[in-house]
Amino acid sequence: MTQQLELPMQEYLNKNIKEIIGEFPPVADVLNGYDIGCVTCGLGTCLFKDIVGIHDLDPGEEAALLAGIARVIYPDRAVAIPKIERKSKPKSGEVSYSPPMKKLVDEHRLIKRWVAVIPRFIEGLDVTTEAGRRLIRQGIDFIQSYADKFHHAKEEAILFKCFDEDLDIIRTMCADHENARGRVREMLAALARQDRETIAGNLEAYRELLTEHVKKEDEILYRWMDRNLSMKQVGELFAKFHEKDIEFGDTPQKYQEFITRLENKFNTEEKRK
Amino acid sequence: MNEFQGCPGSRTQDFRATATEEEATTGKVKSQLTQWPIQMHLISPTAPYYQGADVLLTADCVGYALGGFHPEYLKGKAIGIACPKLDEGQEEYVEKIKSWLDDARINTLTVLIMQVPCCRGLLALAQEAAQKAGRKVPIKAIVVGLQGEILAEEWV
Ligand SMILES: [Fe+2]
Ligand SMILES: [Fe+2]
Repeated sequence: MTQQLELPMQEYLNKNIKEIIGEFPPVADVLNGYDIGCVTCGLGTCLFKDIVGIHDLDPGEEAALLAGIARVIYPDRAVAIPKIERKSKPKSGEVSYSPPMKKLVDEHRLIKRWVAVIPRFIEGLDVTTEAGRRLIRQGIDFIQSYADKFHHAKEEAILFKCFDEDLDIIRTMCADHENARGRVREMLAALARQDRETIAGNLEAYRELLTEHVKKEDEILYRWMDRNLSMKQVGELFAKFHEKDIEFGDTPQKYQEFITRLENKFNTEEKRK
Repeated sequence: MNEFQGCPGSRTQDFRATATEEEATTGKVKSQLTQWPIQMHLISPTAPYYQGADVLLTADCVGYALGGFHPEYLKGKAIGIACPKLDEGQEEYVEKIKSWLDDARINTLTVLIMQVPCCRGLLALAQEAAQKAGRKVPIKAIVVGLQGEILAEEWV
């Protein structure tokens, strides 16, 4: 007699991942084994089936991941492993970013350079002199004008519109942007009352937030989006980003120079020590 | 089988066994061609169907090798075809591709070529034209194997 396999996994594919982890904590370890960091994700409301698709595992890895999770959920019986339906094309080696996505990834580079100088920026925070406050204002202006108005706006007003904005991964990204805006508001208020500690705390939180955020976009979100964009959409995004670049004129260059100045300042200070 | 050494682009190869083993799709496959002419010497790069379009620049042989050419690649796109190995007057192709970018203001360009080395020439023409053009658009190159398999897809 052949053993009848059950198909109860289907039910879990439509649940959100935090709920599954809550019910079966070892699932987190299985996900971690495939570099899927849902445990540390702020929102964690992605559906299990979307996570498998978004992370673009190859079919073998995908089957192994699902089997691993099935073993956690049903430790003492064999269950059939469902196949995840995907809209996107399967992974074909290391694919390069499409031109519009590459543009966003290049903008991330400058944001990452800013994030890298934040620890030294915090050390040097000086709210007592006008020169010190001016530097803090310039740092906050980089966050507001370059990272937010120039870069995040491209994502929110243009890129994300190509997708279902109710998707959890997109909502998570927008929540991160909103979180960063909140940090800016708190820093501006703290600067007005010369509260160094609050500025330092918010900058550190911003650093942690953006480090994770940019990594998620570069490594997961943008690649997944690229696999789902049609050629027509790629062309339209490219043209719209180009229009935005024209609208912002020499803004990117101005901030490039600002970050370079910061890096030089901290490097010389470091050498002097 | 490969008694013919020399240029890999014209070496005789026989795929009769593998080509027929897969099941044929039932029903008629609808043509997705929406224009005429299509040959690069005959087309006008500013014809209405090129305006703002997603354009395919296809090596002649691709249309025969790629089983799903109409529904998967041609659908929704305008096209120009050429053979970079045999066609004469290819300077004219460069001018026409440049005109697609600058005058017809196409949205994207997809260059479909065969895996044989000489077919790279078509991609080189497209790159030369893109360099000369004042406008930039996303350009993708797709390399098709002799039996219609997609061997590479890259942004150039
Ligand atoms: Fe973002
Ligand atoms: Fe971003």
